[in-house]
Amino acid sequence: MTTLDIVMVIVRVSISAFVPLCFLAVCVTMERRVAGFVQDRSGPNRAGIYGFRAGGLVQNLADGIKLAFKEDIISEHVEHKFLYVLAPIISMAAAIISFALIPFADTLVLDGKAYVMQGIPWDTGILWFLAVTGFSVYGIILAGWSSTNKYSLLGALRSASQVISYEIPMGLAVISLLIVYGSINLSDIARFQGQNWLGFIPMWGIFLQPLAAVIFIVAAFAECNRTPFDLAEGESELVAGFHLEYSAMKFAVFFMGEYVAMFASSAVIVTLFFGGYNIPFFSTDFLIRNIKPVAFVMLVILPVFMFYFAKWIRRNNRSQYPRENDPREAEATVYIRCFWILIGVIEVFLLAILAFAQPDTAAAHLLVALMQICTFLLKVTLMLFVYVWVRWTIPRFRYDQLQILGWQKLLPLALLNIFVTGAIVVALG
Amino acid sequence: MAAKVKQLPSRGGTPAEKVYLIEIFKGMGITLRHFLRNLWDNSNLYVRHYPEVQPNIPAHWRGRHRLLTHSDGTPKCVACFMCQTNCPANCIMIKAGERTDGITEKMPVSFTIDLAECIYCGYCVEACPEDAIRMDTGIYAFTSSNREEMKIEMDEMLSLKGGYTEEEYQKGLEDE
Amino acid sequence: MYIDTLFSIFALTAVAGSLGLVLFRHPMRSALCLAVTMISLAGIYALLSAKLIFLLQLIVYAGAVTALIVFIIMFLNLREKDLPEENERFTYFIGGAVVLIPVAWFMIKVMKSIPEVKNSIVGNGFGSIKEVGQMLFTNWLVPFEIISLLLLVTLIGAVVLAGIRRESND
Repeated sequence: MTTLDIVMVIVRVSISAFVPLCFLAVCVTMERRVAGFVQDRSGPNRAGIYGFRAGGLVQNLADGIKLAFKEDIISEHVEHKFLYVLAPIISMAAAIISFALIPFADTLVLDGKAYVMQGIPWDTGILWFLAVTGFSVYGIILAGWSSTNKYSLLGALRSASQVISYEIPMGLAVISLLIVYGSINLSDIARFQGQNWLGFIPMWGIFLQPLAAVIFIVAAFAECNRTPFDLAEGESELVAGFHLEYSAMKFAVFFMGEYVAMFASSAVIVTLFFGGYNIPFFSTDFLIRNIKPVAFVMLVILPVFMFYFAKWIRRNNRSQYPRENDPREAEATVYIRCFWILIGVIEVFLLAILAFAQPDTAAAHLLVALMQICTFLLKVTLMLFVYVWVRWTIPRFRYDQLQILGWQKLLPLALLNIFVTGAIVVALG
Repeated sequence: MAAKVKQLPSRGGTPAEKVYLIEIFKGMGITLRHFLRNLWDNSNLYVRHYPEVQPNIPAHWRGRHRLLTHSDGTPKCVACFMCQTNCPANCIMIKAGERTDGITEKMPVSFTIDLAECIYCGYCVEACPEDAIRMDTGIYAFTSSNREEMKIEMDEMLSLKGGYTEEEYQKGLEDE
Repeated sequence: MYIDTLFSIFALTAVAGSLGLVLFRHPMRSALCLAVTMISLAGIYALLSAKLIFLLQLIVYAGAVTALIVFIIMFLNLREKDLPEENERFTYFIGGAVVLIPVAWFMIKVMKSIPEVKNSIVGNGFGSIKEVGQMLFTNWLVPFEIISLLLLVTLIGAVVLAGIRRESND
């Protein structure tokens, strides 16, 4: 192993392990602020460090510190303390490793060696995701059972049976996709979606398999125990569901595990149906061959984008009431300057690439990989927004409605989809 | 009088509505419109920026209690125990004593209200035959880090001034 | 070298898991030990380059079957007082071990007769989904179809059994 190999291993593993954790802050902030905006209120925007509120991000820090320093209580009536502590660990670990096989950029070629941009460069892809998300059931069951609390137990029963029954339509929806893509390797699937159809429609899963997309997304919502399927924590009936007895950091781990699972399933949805890391209409080869025009376009677009972004910050980051020497406007100025400095640094790099880099060199490959990582994360963020958006739109299903939807609607639809897809694929050769 | 029954049309029967997804997308369109409007410019939020922007509270809104005085500064209260008897939360504790200034025969020696117990129902104000207690100070927010400090004594209540003029207060009572 | 170490780890956890399965008194702990054994076995399959078997072991046995067992045990909600008294279990353990000694001796002998082979990763798509699928649908088509028929029978049987119980309740 050369130094480059070791560096690449560290980079890939740390991206796949820490990006989901970093996105926790994005998820939680987005959840709260989007909920606020949808309901015409503002959401948490008061917590700040010396007046710097970062649009509500500091609230997460405050909550995190609070949860970390709270007293960690294990009730007297908990008989199986080991299993009780094990439960949040299982659900968090299952969530993190389910992201390990998702490609976040096209295969990176450095020094004539190809590096598959996944946490674990393995070709078992989507089956790994299905296998690992199955383990999250253990976390739920153990938490509900070892809490020795009837509400926890009922919550765990609901949640576990929901996860088990929605795994089936999910797996069947994946099968029809695999017929189309002809591979279970997520890298192959993402590369397949980089092609264009008739020259202008990207060959994304959502266009090739709309029914499978709907079934998979609905099942993914149910797997994450998100609204409209969050019966496990029906506040009016079950208080909080399976994590009712958990406090402090053990609760926080459950909470984080839920959001990491949401991130991982968004990433899978993006990879299967929305082209993964592909920038629409531009294949990796095209970008690498035309690195100079690409760098030039980025060079132009970034300041324009930043100009409007700065205007948006100015407009929204001010006190909405008469106030002399509004400190929030000074705050906005600081943010805008920081962002301009960041843009300036990126511009310098782009200029360097424009001046020195030749097509098909390491610099070109790295720039394209970075652009693809950004595209991937942007797509995942949009998918996370859809999760949040659905949560604040749709009311909760009743439990029998949930099971009827899973077994009587999604399952036959998924089976039908497999037959139709198979017939079409065979007919088209 | 029979209760009025309003029959709402039952929804969800048509095939288009049974597919769920169309209706769900309609609902999501509504929430997205709200979200985008507020994201574009957050000055449209239906939010009062409390505590910087204070709400406009009408005069008869019940706040913290005060005891009224005659023009010469002596308390109007005659220790009749009407308020204490009426209080549903049992938060008023009066000790009566003899009055020596000749206005009446009794006056409170101590008059304590436990604000942690008080439910701000206003029955004490209504029960008072002497108009000696009112809840018009305009103080609505008060906190303390221990329970003893939530008990306010007679001196403190006598020293509080009304938050509104007499006319506003009377008009507020009429509106009620 | 890595493979040997990994194999020892997986083998030890598999044995420890199956020991726990037998020795723990509470069924929930036993079921979780079963899950540990299943996952360790999956690890050993992965070391043998059998990717598909590894994944199926994880999805079907560790993910679905054991999860269902754990789920049912949670349903029963057993407490310490509900468990049966097992005073003679260690007598049975020792007796069973004594009975198994000749079998173990035979197994060790068989193991020793196997020639030693260098452990390495097999290439050429061995054990991948495509290879296994082609093998199943060419050389082993009839057994495969018979097994699927068997599964269909059990499926229908399950539905019929569930249906009968509901009718008798009504």
